Amino acid sequence: MGLIKWEKPDPLDNLTHIQREMSDLFDFLSSTPQMEGYVDVEYPPIIVSMNEESVFVRAELPGIKVSDLDIQVVNDILTIKGERKLTLDPAKISYLRRERDYGTFARSIVLPEKVDAEKVTASYKNGVLTVNLPTAPESKPRQVVIKKS
Amino acid sequence: MEKKELPTVVKKKISSDRCVMTGKGNWYFPLSDIYETPDNFIILIDMPGASIENINIDLQDNELVVNGEVSQEAYTDEKVIYNEYNIGHYHRHFVISDAVNRDKIEAKMSDGVLSLILPKAEHVKPRKIEVKAE
Repeated sequence: MGLIKWEKPDPLDNLTHIQREMSDLFDFLSSTPQMEGYVDVEYPPIIVSMNEESVFVRAELPGIKVSDLDIQVVNDILTIKGERKLTLDPAKISYLRRERDYGTFARSIVLPEKVDAEKVTASYKNGVLTVNLPTAPESKPRQVVIKKS
Repeated sequence: MEKKELPTVVKKKISSDRCVMTGKGNWYFPLSDIYETPDNFIILIDMPGASIENINIDLQDNELVVNGEVSQEAYTDEKVIYNEYNIGHYHRHFVISDAVNRDKIEAKMSDGVLSLILPKAEHVKPRKIEVKAE
């Protein structure tokens, strides 16, 4: 379940709000599919892609220590667990604005292919986690040679 | 430290009716925290995917503009089959006051989080006044 940020209501906001709603409605009606606004997705949001050798699962996890991440593959289920820690002591500093969230998370996904669990690797660069899951040999396409009799 | 479950993240797209967009791709407002220590103001900005060489920070008068471009090269040989977030560039700007010593602004990038350290000007730093015994 996602948390929704509470904002202090302002009477004038209602007007701009209606305006925004209308403009959103028009956007929606005249759309090309809307890809924005995945509000209810689990954390971390992921992108799954694949090529002939591997399945890749990527997640944007800025500011996480690699030691706080736990990645497991069991059969064809990938689990990403971790914690985004608050590195600052709120007692020592005073916040002027706060938008970045923190907390523990865990999510599992069923992989689209059988993977070779032994060869799974993961890397973390610029705040993006990439899990490389090589597909198992048995699920790779095999060319069937037709014999003439 | 307090424990909490499930962080949330909402990527806010910068729509073209709010400002004029130049350059390819989508632009997003990165989430940021701003806090104050006795000597500095610190801004932390989440810009996952942006590498250090693709980040531009400009200070014009009292406006601090942060741009980060994100490469999607990694996906060129791959077929995306499931997608929960969008990849795009980041843009955000901050208006800073005279309380900041503009000559000494520092920026650091680690693990997709940009930290901007804005030292306070001397006149706003807290000063401890010692009481002398007579």
